[in-house]
Amino acid sequence: MIIVHDTTGNDQHISNGEFTVAFPAIIIGVSILELPSEVASATLFSDGWVAILVSGILFSILAILAVKVAQSFPNDSFFTYTTYLLNKPFAFIVLLCIIIFTTLISSYILRSVAFMSKQYLFTNTPPEVITLTFLLVVIYALCGERIDLFRLNLLFVPIIIFIFLMVGVFSIETFEYENLLPVFKTNLSGYMDGIMQTFSSYYGFGIGLFYVYLLKNKEKVTTCALAGISISTIFYLFIFFYCIAIFGNLATSNLQFPTIELAKRVSIPGGVFERIDAAVFTIWVMAIFNTMTMMLDTSILLIRTQFKKLKRQTVAFILAPIIFYISMFPQTIAQLNSYGSVVGNLATIFHCLIIVLLFTAMKIRGVRSYEKS
Amino acid sequence: MRYRFFFSKRKKDRTEHVNDGSYVPMYKQLEENIHYINKTLDQPTDLKVRTITIAETTIRCAVIYIDGIVDDMTVHESILHNLESLSHVPQESDELLFYIYTKQLAVNGVQRETNLEQIIIAILSGQTVLFIDGQQTALIVDTVGGDKRQIQEPLTETLIRGPRSGFVETISTNLALIRREAKDPNMRFRTLYGGKRTKRKIVIVYMEGVAKQSIVDEIMRRLETLQIDFVQGSGHIEEWIEDSYLSPFPQILNTERPDRVISSVLHGKVAILVDGTPFALIAPATIADVLHSPEDYYERWIVGTSLRILRYLGAFISILSPALYVALISIQPGMIPSDLIFSIASTRESVPFPPIVEALLMVITLELLQEAGARLPQTIGQTIGIVGGLVIGEAAVQAGVVSPIMVIIIALTAIANFSIPSYSMAISFRVLRFVFMFAAAFLGLFGVVLIYIMVNIHLVRLTSIGQPFLQPYVPFVKKQWDDVIIRAPLGKLSRRKNDTQKR
Repeated sequence: MIIVHDTTGNDQHISNGEFTVAFPAIIIGVSILELPSEVASATLFSDGWVAILVSGILFSILAILAVKVAQSFPNDSFFTYTTYLLNKPFAFIVLLCIIIFTTLISSYILRSVAFMSKQYLFTNTPPEVITLTFLLVVIYALCGERIDLFRLNLLFVPIIIFIFLMVGVFSIETFEYENLLPVFKTNLSGYMDGIMQTFSSYYGFGIGLFYVYLLKNKEKVTTCALAGISISTIFYLFIFFYCIAIFGNLATSNLQFPTIELAKRVSIPGGVFERIDAAVFTIWVMAIFNTMTMMLDTSILLIRTQFKKLKRQTVAFILAPIIFYISMFPQTIAQLNSYGSVVGNLATIFHCLIIVLLFTAMKIRGVRSYEKS
Repeated sequence: MRYRFFFSKRKKDRTEHVNDGSYVPMYKQLEENIHYINKTLDQPTDLKVRTITIAETTIRCAVIYIDGIVDDMTVHESILHNLESLSHVPQESDELLFYIYTKQLAVNGVQRETNLEQIIIAILSGQTVLFIDGQQTALIVDTVGGDKRQIQEPLTETLIRGPRSGFVETISTNLALIRREAKDPNMRFRTLYGGKRTKRKIVIVYMEGVAKQSIVDEIMRRLETLQIDFVQGSGHIEEWIEDSYLSPFPQILNTERPDRVISSVLHGKVAILVDGTPFALIAPATIADVLHSPEDYYERWIVGTSLRILRYLGAFISILSPALYVALISIQPGMIPSDLIFSIASTRESVPFPPIVEALLMVITLELLQEAGARLPQTIGQTIGIVGGLVIGEAAVQAGVVSPIMVIIIALTAIANFSIPSYSMAISFRVLRFVFMFAAAFLGLFGVVLIYIMVNIHLVRLTSIGQPFLQPYVPFVKKQWDDVIIRAPLGKLSRRKNDTQKR
């Protein structure tokens, strides 16, 4: 018998737990499939973990900076405090860039779903059908309240992590420790290259900029951001170690989606399922769903700071065909990959610059005192 | 709006007596009063009018009641017999009324009434009315009675180790069942009457100080807006006050068990009892409540927890298993171990249909069997079981219409569905099963996961009396987790740890 709870009414504020989970929800997405191969190709043996860890720390710091900036303006939206810290035209350009980037990345995600489905689930269904059905579900989610998206993250992220952990547990017998050794053989440029490869995998670390003002309790947001990025980093490290240990560095770097290949190796004792790659892919769809809804939600949030009269639904319906149209451009998987890495890296670097810029501006100009407003 | 106006106008044209609570004063003459009641009710055969002249006087009086819904003993012994054996009677009729009102009626409740409309409602609801000639006041005597069902074991929610008493159709008995178990002075019963034509007694039960006042107020507010002619059981109330009528999920629990009502009320929920139905409503509900059974608390905690996990598994099997069969066989055969897929393929060789048709055939048969079994008398119901289970299953396989593995899947689905304690929720799962099956036929596992995501989106939005339906999961409430999937040992269970209104 569930006790009727007093404090959690159906209020629209985001709780700290929901905020924490939002980080892995938006970060763990398409890139989890390719990340091991990209990092392994840049580094030797298992040294890629250094790259993942270093960028994890780097993005944690940036995420904390972002949260700190937003925390200083606890009641202001992103556009308001960017206008205050920089100036209005510049804030507008920043806003526009972020919206364009999220739209582009969303199209990339959408197309990846189609490609991946073609690869692992069905070969005959046209990509347009897969893309459209997925997009419709995303739009259905976006038409509700913002808090619902955060709660969906809370429902799905544990499932995703649990399934990948299970993959790890059941493939333990093919785990070869020799593949992990020797360590620290990569030179500095290799590490740098590896770090560069992880950049697009961390896109979404800056959501603190947009959502902090909606939080119920704004005291411990830095802990939330740190925990959120840490969960993602640990998850990435886990996947990376498994790929290297099972396939070796060379095979990992040559495989297109080593993470899914990992699932193929799984042998569940009892032989109920043979190849669970399709099941893992299915769960991965949930991760993609979370990433995409969160990204589009930031878009909607930012667009609505400019057009206050537009409804959420209207913005979602305007964005959907644009995303669908763009997603139909890449024709081959190579085109899609290069599109994804260019857009992902650009977006991540742009976010880093904005956060650093805003933070310095805040340190120089100081925070507006609230007695005036 | 215009149409409604049109209808309401037509209603007035007909010579229909709509009881709208207006005030009709009583006549002075006894005959005129009796005539008014007879005219309004159109002289029904079960309306009994006994005109007697009171002993020692010439004052006539009339006792009016409806046969069958009054308690015969009370009417005969306490009213008629008493009136005939009066002594030292005052000669004036107004004194006589007062005399009878205060001294002569040996019953629970007597009240005075001057409105004929109210008197008619009283007669219709099983009370006896005493008119005295020359008086514009009548006495309404509480004689509600008639036949009631005995308290029996609830049929829809049987427990192995729990109380055997279930609610009956009479609300006073049901309230007594609750009172008897929960002797708390803070237990509140709020009564209201619903229905425009036929007033039905609705009682909401809650615990003052434990239940959130806003929830109680909200339920009262929603009940007061009831705009239907006739409240046909608690189903009408449920549909009227629920948050989303488009949702496939029931947002309010119903139960036949007093123990379940009491434990819910003690946990801050509000129970709604309706006269004429053995089903009480419990609101607000969460999805976890639906999968819980009082049995969890009557057995030891390890057993309770295991049964709960089993039930959760049952819920997933019930919704997903036909869909997974369709998806795996038709689109992702690679996931099934090769030995198994060969044996399945060999049994499916003679089946001329694609998996979705095969599955639909069997699922629809199952639904029909379930529906037929529920509507038939119990003795014939067993025949249905044999016909359905053995003949159709076996014969369908022999005839090569479905594969044996499909029969296994359907049997598993049916059993899993029966393991869900709430019948209303089990029906919703049956509906969802079809949605999942179609999605699986079109897009395989991808379709299944998309529908799963959609169901989750819907559930996240769903509220029950303003409270999130997925409550202990999202929004995540840590201190309730000792009683969601795991039923913690009683000593560790945080019973109403979190009500803020501590007294």
